[in-house]
Parts: sequence; structure tokens; C-alpha cells
Amino acid sequence: MIITRTWLDNFIDISDVSNDKLYETFNAIGLEVDSIKSHTIPEKIVVGKILSCEKHPDADKLTVCQIDVGSATRQIVCGANNVVDAEYVAVATIGAMIGGDFEIKHAKLRGVNSEGMVCSASELGLPEMGNGIMILDESIGELIIGKELNSYEKVADTVIEIELTANRGDCLSIYGVARDLGAALDIQLKSLEYQSLNQEKIGLARVAQLKAPSKINGSLKFIMADVEEIYTSLLVSLRLAFSNELQKNTLENVIKYVTHSTGVILRAYKTRHMLIEEDDKIILTASTEEGLTKIEANGTYFSTLGVSQNEVTRADEKTTKVLFEASYINPNVLVDAVALQGLKTDELYYNTSRGSEPNLSLGLRYLTYLLESYTRCIFFDGSLSVEEEVEPSIITINTNEISSLIGKEINKSTILSILMSLEFKVQVAGEDTFGVTVPHFRHDIENIQDITEEIVRIIGINNIDAIPLKFSEAQRTNATTHRYYAKKALRNRAVANGFYESISYAFSDKSLLEKYNFPLIKEELDIINPITEDLNTLRSTILINLLNAGKRNVSYSKKSIALFEIGTIFNENREEREVLSLIFSGQQESENISNHGKPENIDFETFTKKLSAIIGNFELRAGTEQNGLIHPYQSADIIIDNEMCGFISKLHPTVAEAFDLSQTFIAEISFDALIPKHINAHPISKFQGVYKDLSLVIDKNLPYDQVSTAIEALKLPLLKKYYPVDIYEDESLKEQKSLTIRLFLQSLESTLEDAQIEQSVNQIINALKEQYGATLR
Amino acid sequence: MKHLEDKITQVNSLETLEKTRIELFGKKGALTAEFKKLKDVPGPEKKAFAEGLNQSKANLQKLYDEKYALLKKQEIEKILKAEAIDVSLYSSLEAKGALHPVMATMDKIIDYFIALNFSIEDGPKIEDDFHNFEALNLPKNHPARDMQDTFFCKDGGVLRTHTSPVQIRTMLQTQPPIRMIAPGAVFRKDYDITHTPMFHQVEGLVVEPKGEVSFANLKAILSDFLHYMFGDVEIRFRPSFFPFTEPSAEVDISCIFCEGKGCRVCSHTGWLEVLGCGIVDPNVFKSVKYENVSGYAFGLGVERFAMLLHKVPDLRMLFEGDTRLLEQFR
Repeated sequence: MIITRTWLDNFIDISDVSNDKLYETFNAIGLEVDSIKSHTIPEKIVVGKILSCEKHPDADKLTVCQIDVGSATRQIVCGANNVVDAEYVAVATIGAMIGGDFEIKHAKLRGVNSEGMVCSASELGLPEMGNGIMILDESIGELIIGKELNSYEKVADTVIEIELTANRGDCLSIYGVARDLGAALDIQLKSLEYQSLNQEKIGLARVAQLKAPSKINGSLKFIMADVEEIYTSLLVSLRLAFSNELQKNTLENVIKYVTHSTGVILRAYKTRHMLIEEDDKIILTASTEEGLTKIEANGTYFSTLGVSQNEVTRADEKTTKVLFEASYINPNVLVDAVALQGLKTDELYYNTSRGSEPNLSLGLRYLTYLLESYTRCIFFDGSLSVEEEVEPSIITINTNEISSLIGKEINKSTILSILMSLEFKVQVAGEDTFGVTVPHFRHDIENIQDITEEIVRIIGINNIDAIPLKFSEAQRTNATTHRYYAKKALRNRAVANGFYESISYAFSDKSLLEKYNFPLIKEELDIINPITEDLNTLRSTILINLLNAGKRNVSYSKKSIALFEIGTIFNENREEREVLSLIFSGQQESENISNHGKPENIDFETFTKKLSAIIGNFELRAGTEQNGLIHPYQSADIIIDNEMCGFISKLHPTVAEAFDLSQTFIAEISFDALIPKHINAHPISKFQGVYKDLSLVIDKNLPYDQVSTAIEALKLPLLKKYYPVDIYEDESLKEQKSLTIRLFLQSLESTLEDAQIEQSVNQIINALKEQYGATLR
Repeated sequence: MKHLEDKITQVNSLETLEKTRIELFGKKGALTAEFKKLKDVPGPEKKAFAEGLNQSKANLQKLYDEKYALLKKQEIEKILKAEAIDVSLYSSLEAKGALHPVMATMDKIIDYFIALNFSIEDGPKIEDDFHNFEALNLPKNHPARDMQDTFFCKDGGVLRTHTSPVQIRTMLQTQPPIRMIAPGAVFRKDYDITHTPMFHQVEGLVVEPKGEVSFANLKAILSDFLHYMFGDVEIRFRPSFFPFTEPSAEVDISCIFCEGKGCRVCSHTGWLEVLGCGIVDPNVFKSVKYENVSGYAFGLGVERFAMLLHKVPDLRMLFEGDTRLLEQFR
């Protein structure tokens, strides 16, 4: 919402209020100021009167004007076409500085002396209002030849842009803003009475009739005028230009200006074709169907109240008999009906859906005044109207309750005077209890808290002292809190192991997910309105996002890239799950003196060690994960507590190539599996344990996890720990390999006897012999 | 005895010193030889002779000990010197990564509220119309829904446009009193220099019996919180509008770039908007069937906090895993 200082002044006297005070007050009452700009017209730019215009002898496009600038008559050469239509113009006299750095000097234009310049709006730092020079008229004040233009405050105006919240339709006009400002600053609004000047003798009822066969939603009021020629005054043009609302034709300018000024929704219709014969009459009918009110005239559809107008009925500047309509409809009724019927709406819907001004007479009065001031026109006597009967909304308030919501004692008289200044009507119902009638234009006020907000706005939040809340202490750590701590610890361990935390959008490119064989969300659950093609679905892995980040980092010449992200992914049924994803690409450590600037690339073992340092112990089993990022011979399932909870893999070389990455490793693990579990300590033996190496010859292709599964199955009570320490292959072993496992045996009860050790070891040997044909080396 | 003392003084290695020790103090050493002479000394002189010898022995021993200590020290010094390296070559190993500034900021925010006995709550990213809009007093077709460009799913699901639906879920699952925050990712269909389709919010909600919670309380906690986050800044509350709170306010801090003088970042206003808050709207309580309660709620954008706190120049950069940025937070 754009307002200007002098425009506000039409409705409220703010001559004693500084711009700083305005800025502060608007912000304080919830009308947030986006920008505030005071226009200044440079010095030595004065009102000039054109005495004569002649064609330049040597240039078709130039005109030589004699202009009275008060102190003298100056000859000025002008290039604008419209100078011949002008009487009063803005003249930059010798010495004036335009645009801060262009000084007006004596000049010769194609041999003709020119002593000054006739200015356009943009040359004066004002918004553009059509081509050519700015033609002055008395709408900006009495034109005195030679007077500095900067002293016309309607030209050198202050423009304020207010960011209105969605509930404040009542402030979508200068009048509405003035009303709120008046309440805040305790200034009475100006009286807006206006008596039409040259009323035609004919009553409107003679030529038109308004029928509403049954009760309608909304209110309507019509007036009509014979219009000869409409002129848009400089002030109207300038203000509409300030608010970016300058229209294509003069009639629309007037209508837009009145709506912007008063908030009343206006439409103009052509009617001449309906009044050809002497006794022709316009029969207007208004009827409501499915919540919306349609207006027709003699069988022609005119408009739907608050929604749109039939384009062919729209009056333009050539229309001579114009029917003007002012309307109001309750926005709550309107928006539901429009959405239900899926109707197209025009630009006025922004106002009608937020609540336009219900005082229709105000809008029509302002329109009459404006047209009669600057246009040759004659209005018909009277108006036609149908007004919706609205039950006034009455809210019961209690001053103690308001004080308790605010947290500060606000006395009764303050509350009442604020409400009355905001045009609420107040009826006393008890000691501290009141009935408050909400003004029609505040459809957003429904309950005591809405009323409290009005009080807070006007007394100012800065005048409320902060008071800490006394609250009920309770044990409030819950599962989500624990989950957060687990996540935080995990993130810190990843960081300690050289990874950078990354965040990426929870979206993905469907074609990439498909290409790399990741699950796709079922079509019927997918996003309707994605933001871009490469973010057109919900992600089912974070890894592709991390690979993209990796690729970007390669383009920044990074040689070692380690990233992780904990985030949500979605499966086919759009079920959400949190995962930890990691990538490590390129050099496994920074280039330094110890590695002579040539660090090794990341490998499976190093990546696995880093992962273990982050997430703790896990078991790796030959990979079963099938997605397209996986390296078929260097990948594994991650097993924690006998549950498969993720995978680790070298990135498939073709994918690495597609993302410009060198040697890269990836892992994605379900976060649920990483939440620390409760641990009970095992008893610790007082007796010494024994390490024993077992070297076996087994099938070359037998994975270690099968060996360990076989050992595990024996459930040997003395075997505390075992792990592979050597693999040896050579030609003599042919299709076999030698595997050395280090065993650690220990008893809780006693020091181990040789026989006990031997028995356990033999059990292992026998089991592996039976199941895999293993032999001792 | 002078010649014996000289022997020790002239030694310059531990090996020679050991030899000298045997020559002097050993069974066949010079000192032993001197003591043997004692029996030949006549009676009256015996005492003085013995005392002289003992004195000499003590002197020699002292000389020896000092020499030993000196040579030992020199030897260790030599070993240490041999192990000398240029430590300054090893000053930047870059072995540690870094938390993401947005997540670290979120941690800092969460720390504050946990310290004030708030619980952490969470909810799904894909919400339904009821939790994301309807229950929050955002009825269908309400113009306030335009404030939030929503991603819709074909089955009517929406990507949550704010963390506020977690308020509704928590109120439905538990009973007052409630003190909760809901941190997490939210989604809006907006993509330009100052908007990303996903960002993070922290929502807060307090519910107590009717009459207990006031706007003055909200002012107290948020002022304290903003001082905790941004240090010594001015704080300004401005009335505003959110469908789920009434009265509502936006909270500004004095611009931390220009200290309120006016600059590009604060659009020359001297103020930066950082929070939205208000007293919970009665319609919200109605939708979760709470009666006779009062409460406040607030919400903030974590990216904005992170950008202001750490002076990050570009929002979109935060979502690109750009290590040139992340390395700075190591």
C-alpha cells in the first residue's frame, strides 16, 4: 500500500506530524513501513507560463517557446510534442541543477538561443506519467508564475510504502490508513461532506431502476452521469504514478484514484445503447446464487459483485452516459464462494477478498467531487441502492481479561477511548464488562484477543514492560530430545573425523533417481507443483545431493572432499526416514610435509575406519544393496546388532566419471540404528587371557563373514574376541588362500589350562573343516 | 692429590670418566694405594693423615659427581638435538571438518530453550491440510494462505510450510502445561536470492492455565533470547499479523552491520526483522479442544539467524555443500 503525505492530508491533518513520527507511528501500530522517500525538486525550477510557441526554423521536432518565468520572459527551445498543449509548465531556469549533476546553461539549439529547459516528470525525479513534458494545473495548488516548484508540497511529496498484513483490508486505502493513524495520534478525521454542484433536474429513477428480487449477498449503490470529457489532473496522475497505478485511460484513472483514496470498490458501465428512445429505462437486477451476486441490466450480464466485470460493459473515456457502481461484499463469504466455483477474478479481487470499504456513499461522494472538479459532467439526481442487512458483530469484553492478556494493568477508560477512536461502539454491561460493536470495515475482529490486539497496537508494545513467566517446572526431556542429543554427538564425531556437515534440499531429480535405481515415490503421492525440473520429486537418498555437492567442489579445485548430511528421505509410499549419508572423494588427507604433497587417495579400509570412528562398531557383509552407485566388488551391507541398516561402497566408476569425481566412497545408514542403546557392563576376568593365531587354508572366494558366522554359531564361552590378521595367496595354494585369525581366550573362573585352549581351538578347526573344507596350514 | 683431581677435570667423555673412576676409586686404584700407606704412618701423625685422606677422597668424589652430571647432561642434550624438527611445518593439518553454520546456529538456539526447561518436539515433513493450515486458524481460501507458497502433493498432502503443525500435534498428544520448541526443515515454493525452497525454523509454544500467560511474558523471553543470540542489540516489537496468534508481533533487532545507522542489509531502516510471535489465537486452542488455557508462540528462521550471526553473504550457498564456505567454520 502506497500513500503520500499530502494524500493523507485529504483525510487527516498531519501538518504537525514529522516524517520520523509518521514512520515510528506506522510501525508501532502494525502498519510496517517498507520504504519512505521524500521527493525534492531542485532549486531554480519554477512555474512558467507559455506565451507563445513557434516551430523552430531549422528543426522539425523542436519548438521555440516564449515563457513567462516571473522575473522575465525567456525564449526556450523544447523538444517535446505536447508543449503546444501546455499553458503552465515546469521551467528549469539558468543555473538549475538537474539530476544532481546537469546544470542548465545558456544554449544555442540549431542556431536559436534557449535560456532554460521545460522539464518532464522524470527529469525532476518524479515517476514517469506519459511522454513529454509535465503540464502543470491548479490541482497542485494555485499556480503562481515564477514560484519554485519545490514549494508545491503536493509535488515535492513524501511517498511511504506500507507492507500490509493480510488481515488489514481496511487499510487498503488512504482513508483507512488515515483512520488508523487518527486513532494512534488522537487526531480527528476531516469532514468529507460534499454537495454536488450542478445536479441535473432529471432524477436517476426516471431512467434506471434497481431490482433485487430476493435478499442478496453484499451491498450496491449506483449513480449516473452525462460525461463530456474526462481530464486527469496532474495531482491524480502524479499520485497514481507514485503508487504504480496509472491506468491506460482517464476514466479508469479517476476510478482507480477514488478506490485508492477511499477503499470503496467502483465499477463504471456503458449505458448509452440502452437509452435510445425517450422512454427507455435501464432495469438493473441483482441476484445471489451460490453465495455470489450477479448484476445484469436489460438482459446483459454486467458483473459479479467483488469478482469481475463483463469487459464489453466497461465504460471508457468515450462513454457519455456512465453508470457508476459502488459495492461491498463480506470477504469471508466471497473467498469461499470464489474458491468453490473456481472463478477467475480481476485485479479488484485483491481488495474485495481482504475487505473493501463498506461506506459506499463515501466513495461515490468522492467520485462526484473529483469528476465535477476536473470534468464537464452532469450527474443525475439521486442514487439507486440495495443494502445488505448485516447483524452487527458484538463482542463481550472484560477489561481485566484484556489486562491479563497484555500483562499490564490497562485502565477501563484507556480501553474505551482507544476502541471509540477506532470506531467501535461500546455499551456498558457491568463493572468491567462491555459489549463492543465492531465497525463494519473490520471484518477481521472476532473475539476478545482481536480486541486486545487493537489495544496493544495503540498503546504501543514498547510501553509494555517485559515480565518473565512463572511456569511449572517439569521433566521435559523426551524421546525427541534424546534423539537430538544423539544426532548432535554423531555430527560432532563426523566433524572430528574430517567431514563437513552439509544441508541440501529434500528434493531430487526424478530422472536421476530412476537412472541410479533408487526408489521413486508413487505417482499419486508425488509433488504437483515442483519448483524446478531438477528438484521435481522428494528424495529417496541423500547421496545424489552429496555427489552433486562433490562435483561442485571439484569445480572449485578441491582435491579432497568429505561431506555428510543427516536428513529425511522418502520411500515409495512417501514414508519418512532419517539417514546419515557420507561421501569421501579424492585425497584421504591434506597435502603436507609428511606425505610429500602426494597423499594417497581414499580407500575402502580408510573410509571404513573413519566410519567406525563416527558410528562405532559394525559388521560388514557382502553387499546386497542394488542401487546404481554401488561398486559390485567393493561394497558391503552395514550390520549393527544383527540388523542390516545401511551400506558402504566404492562409488561405481561410471558414476564417478559422470560427477567428475576421482576415487570416491559412499555410505548411507539409517539414523535409527545409530541411536545409542543402553549398555550393561559384563564381568571382567581377573585371570590372564591367551592370544592364539590360527592359520587355515580355505577356498579363495570364501568371504570372511561366513567364517565368522561359523565361529559365532559355536558359542564358545572362552572365546572373547577374534579377528582376521593375515591373508596370504600364492601359486602353490592354487584356488585356495591362507587365512590367519587371531583368537583371544579367557575364563572368568581360572587361568586357562592348555587342554582348555586346545579344546576350543579344535572346535573351531573342526567346524570350519566340516563346513568349508578348511585345513590347518 | 692435585694430579688426581686434574685427571677428573681433564676428562671429556662418559667412557673416559668411567675408566678414571676405576683408576682412582677401584680396588687397585690410586686412592686405595694411598689408604694402604696409612699403616706405615707413625702413630701421632696417623690421625691427621687419615683425616687428610678422607678429605681428599670426598673432594675427588664431589669432583667426579659433578663431572658425571655435566657429561650426562651433555649427552642427553646431544640426543635431543639430533631429534630436532621444524615444528612450524606441521601447523595446519586440516584434519577436522566443521558443523554447518545453519545447524550450529540451530544447536545454539536449542541450547537456550533446553536450559529454560523446554522440550524438543518433532513432526512429519509431509503434513495434511488440518495440521498445517486449518487447525492453525488458516481456513481454506483465507488470503493469509497466500503468505506461504505451498508445495502440494497429488493426494492432498502438503510439504509443511512452517514448523507450526508440530504445535498442533504436540497439543493433541499431550496435555498442558506445555513448554516446547520444534526445530526443523520447512518448505515454500519460492526460489531467488533471498528464498530457498527449503529452510529451517524453530517454533516455540507455551501453554499454561488461563490468565497465566501474557504478552509481557513473551516480551521477556524473546528479549532475553535475542540478547543471548546477538549480544548487546536494541530490540523492537512491532504489531503484526499471524493467523495463529492474536495479538501478534514481529521482532526486530538493531542492525548488527551498521549498529542502527542504516545500511544496505537493513534497507536503511537500522532494523533487522528476526522473529514472529504472539499470544495463541483462541481458534487454535478450539481446534485442539483446549479450554481455559492461555499461551504464547513464536517462530524464527534459522538461516536468517545464521547469516546475520556469521555474516554469510549468500543464502543459496548454504545449501550447496560448498567447502570454501564450510572450511571457514572449522
